[in-house]
Amino acid sequence: MNAAADKLIVEGLRLRADRQAIDESIGAGEIVGLAGLDGNGQERFLEMLAGLVTPAGGSIGYRDDAGRTHAINSFRRAVLHGVAYLPRDRRASGIFPALSILDNFAMATVTRDCVAGLISYRRRRERYDHYRERLSIVAPHPREPITTLSGGNQQKVLLARALALQPGVLLLNDPTRGVDIATRKILYEVFRELSGEGMALIILSTEIEESLHLCDRVLVFRDFELASRLSGEEMSADRIIATMFGRDS
Amino acid sequence: MSERGATTGSGYRLARAVQRSVFSSAGFAPLLFVILLAINIWLNPARFAPAAWGTLVGLAAPLIGAAVASTPAFLGGRGGIDISVGPLMGFVNAIIVLVFIQMLGVSSPFVIVPAALLVGVAGGVVNAFLATILRIQPIVATLGTYLVLVGATLTILPAPTGTAPQWLSQLAGTWSILPLGCVYLVWWAICRTPYYDQLMAVGSDDRAAYTAGVPVTKVRFLSFVITGLFSGAAGLMLTALIGSADPAVGPTYTLIAISAVALGGVSLAGGRGSVIGAAIGAIDIFLLQSALTYLNVSTFILQISYGAILVLAIVLTALQDRYMEQRAQRAGS
Amino acid sequence: MKNLSTDQRRALGAFLIAIALHMLGTLLIQGYSSAFSMRAMLVLASLLAIASIGQTLVIILGGIDLSIPFVIGFANVVSAQLYGDGMSFWVVCVIVLALALVIGAFNGLVSGGLNIHPLIVTLGVGTIIQGSVLLWTAGFPSGSAPALLSEFVSIGGSAMGLPVPWLVPCFIVVIAVITVLLVRTPYGRRVYALGNNPRAAMLALISPLGMWTLTFAISAFFAAVTGILLLGFTGSAYGEVGQPYLFQTIAAVVIGGTALVGGRGSYLGTVAGALVLTELNTLLIGLGLQPSVVQAALGLVIILLVSLYGRDPHVSTRI
Repeated sequence: MNAAADKLIVEGLRLRADRQAIDESIGAGEIVGLAGLDGNGQERFLEMLAGLVTPAGGSIGYRDDAGRTHAINSFRRAVLHGVAYLPRDRRASGIFPALSILDNFAMATVTRDCVAGLISYRRRRERYDHYRERLSIVAPHPREPITTLSGGNQQKVLLARALALQPGVLLLNDPTRGVDIATRKILYEVFRELSGEGMALIILSTEIEESLHLCDRVLVFRDFELASRLSGEEMSADRIIATMFGRDS
Repeated sequence: MSERGATTGSGYRLARAVQRSVFSSAGFAPLLFVILLAINIWLNPARFAPAAWGTLVGLAAPLIGAAVASTPAFLGGRGGIDISVGPLMGFVNAIIVLVFIQMLGVSSPFVIVPAALLVGVAGGVVNAFLATILRIQPIVATLGTYLVLVGATLTILPAPTGTAPQWLSQLAGTWSILPLGCVYLVWWAICRTPYYDQLMAVGSDDRAAYTAGVPVTKVRFLSFVITGLFSGAAGLMLTALIGSADPAVGPTYTLIAISAVALGGVSLAGGRGSVIGAAIGAIDIFLLQSALTYLNVSTFILQISYGAILVLAIVLTALQDRYMEQRAQRAGS
Repeated sequence: MKNLSTDQRRALGAFLIAIALHMLGTLLIQGYSSAFSMRAMLVLASLLAIASIGQTLVIILGGIDLSIPFVIGFANVVSAQLYGDGMSFWVVCVIVLALALVIGAFNGLVSGGLNIHPLIVTLGVGTIIQGSVLLWTAGFPSGSAPALLSEFVSIGGSAMGLPVPWLVPCFIVVIAVITVLLVRTPYGRRVYALGNNPRAAMLALISPLGMWTLTFAISAFFAAVTGILLLGFTGSAYGEVGQPYLFQTIAAVVIGGTALVGGRGSYLGTVAGALVLTELNTLLIGLGLQPSVVQAALGLVIILLVSLYGRDPHVSTRI
C-alpha cells in the first residue's frame, strides 16, 4: 500500500481521553473490517470517522482524489468532502417511513435533481434507475412509500442514497443486519465492486464470518483501544475472538 | 453523595433532597420565585404580611390549580397535553353556581365538592377516551372539548350571575390553603403508587415501557382523568375566588397554565417534571403580576414581561440542560 | 382512488365533506347558495387558508405555531397605524412583513436550536408581540385601510370580470405556489423528511436549525399577510382580530389530513379543511344557532372528523 493512495489518515486518535491513541491509514480500494464485543469502541471509532462524534484526541484526515487532505471535524463536512455513512438502525435513523422510495433515495442529494430550482422527476428517476440496476433493488412502484419494501430492499435504497453522494470512503455500520441471504450476497458483490473501483470501505460487522469473508484486514477493538490489526494468515475467527476477549497475548 | 456520612440529621437530608429535586426538576422557577417574592415583599409588605396570606393564596389558587391540573397529561408524553383545563374549570364553575346553588338550591359542601370533582373527572374521562382509546392527537382532542365546553358554558350561562355560599368563599380567604393542600395530598399519594413510575416510564419512552409490560394506554388514560379531577378542584378554587358564575374567566387559564407548567420545568415531551415545579411556575407568574400591578404599570407591560420571562426561563433551562448533558458526556467518556 | 396517496385521499375526503355540507346548507337554508353568501364564504375561507399556510408547513415539520394569531393582530394594527401616519402602503407592507419574518425566524431559531417545544416558544413570543403592540398604540389602535386593500378583499369586489374580489384568484395562485413548494422543491421535500424522521434527516444532510428558522419565518410571513388582508376586510385595526385563528388554523390543518406528528400532509388538504370550517360555521349560524352553540358544534365536528381519519397508530405498531 503506498502512502499516496491513502484515503483516510487517522493520527493519534483517542476513543477516550484515558485510552491509547490510534494511528491508522486506510487506502483506496481497501475493505477494512471493525470487530469487537458490543460497546468496546468500534462503533465510536466508526462514528468518529464519520464526523458524528468528536474525538477525545487526535485527528482524522480525508485525502481527496486531487491529493488534498481535509480534516474531518463535522458530519456535514465529512460527507461533502466524500465520506459517506450508512447508519445501523434502519428504522430509527435511516428511512423516512411516510416518504416514497424515490424521495428516500434522493434526499441527501436532492439539489442534484434540480432544474431552475424545481426537482426534475425525470432526472431523479434516471439517477435512481442507475442504482436500482446496480444494486438490483426490487421495487415495482418507486412512488410508493418505502415501507412497502422488504428490509433488504430498504437497506439497498439506503445504500443507494449513500452511493449517490459518490463518496471516496464508505463507512458501513452493520450493513447486513436484518437482511436476507439473497440480499446479503448482492451487497457483498457490490462492496467488492466498489472497492475494485477504488473506494475505501470500512465495515463494522457483528458477524465475524462476514468480516473474514469480505475484508482485506480487520481491526479488533477492546475496551476503547485498538487491540490488534489482523490481516492475511493471522485473520481467522479464532484469532479475532481471542483478541476480542483479551486472550491474544 | 460524598457528604452522606457527615450528617445524620434527617431534617438536613430531607432539606437537601427537596432542594435537589426541586432545583433539578423545576429549572429556574425556584430562583425566580425567591427573587420575585423578595421584590414583592419589599414593594408591598402589607399585602405579604402573614395576616394576609389567606387572601393571597386564594388569589393565586386557581392559577396554581390550573397549572397542577395540566401537569399529569404532559407527563404521559407523546404529545400529551390538555388544553381544555381552563374551559373545564369554567364549566365546573357554571355547573356549581348555576345548577346546584341557584336551580337546585343545594349549598352543602358535601354535595358541591363531590359534584365539582365528578364533573372534572367526567371531562377528564372524555378527553382520555378521545386521546388514548380513539387515539386522536391530544391537542386536537382537547381542542375539540375546549370548544364544546366553552360553547356549553356560554349556552347555559350567557352572562355572569349567582353567588357562592359562605363556606366556599372562605376557601379563597382564611382557608385558602385547604383545597391546594388536598390536591397536593392526592398527588403525593399517587406518587407513592406504582402508577407514578409507570407514568414517568411511559412519558420518557412509551415503546420501551410497552415492551416492559406497562399498560401504556391505561396509564395515559388515567393521566387525563387525573388532569380532569384536578381541573374540577381548580374550578372550585376559581368559584371560591370570584364568588359567582362567570363564563369568561375559565378559558383564560389554559394558556397561562401551560406557560406556568413549562416555566416550572415540566417537559412538554413527557417523562420529566413535577407538580411542585408546575405550582412554583404558577406562583412565579402570580408574583410577577402582583409586583407589576403594584408598580401600576400598564397591563401591556405586564404582558410583555410575562412573555419575556417565560421565553427567558425556558431558554436558560434548555441551556442548563445542555451544559449538564455535555458535562455528563465528558465524564462518561 | 387506488392511485392516490394517503395525503391525497384525505384532502379529497375533506373536499367531499365541504361539498356535502354545502349541499346540506342549500337544502336547509334559503339563500345559502346565493351569489353573496358564496362570495362571502370564498373570501372567509381564503383568509383562513392563507393564515393556515404557516401552520401547515410548521406541523409537517413536526412543530406547531401558536404565535399566528398574535402576528396577525400585530400586522393588522401596525399596518393601519403606519398607513394612518401617512406612510406609503407598500412601504408599510415591506416593514410589517420584514418584522414578521424576524419574529418567525426567532421562533424557529429558539425552538429548533435549543430543542424547546415550539408550543411554549411561540406562545411566549406571541404574548410579547401582543403586549408590545398594545403598548405602542396604548390599547387604542387607530389608522385606516387604503381603499386599494379594501377593494382587494371586499366581498362585493370583482376581478377580471368575475364576481369575486382579487383576493380569490390571487389565493388560487398561492395554492399552486405552496403546493409546488412542498412537492417539487428541495426545501419542501426536506420539510417532510425532517418531520418524518429528524435523526435520519440529519444524516441526509438536512440542517434542522436552518429548516426550523426558515419555516417559522414563512409561517409568520403569511400570518402577517393575513393581518394586512383582514385590515382591508374589516376596514379598521383591531388587536384581537387574529384570536379566532389560533385554533382554526390548527383545525383546518388537521381536518385536511395533516398529522400533528409531522412528516405527512398537504396544503390542498388544509384548503379543504378551511372550506369545511367555513361551510360549517355558515351553516350553523344560518340555522339560527347561538354563537356559543356553533362553537360547541364545531368542537364536536372536529373530534368526529379527526376520529374518522386522523388517528394515531397504537404504541405496539411502532416497536
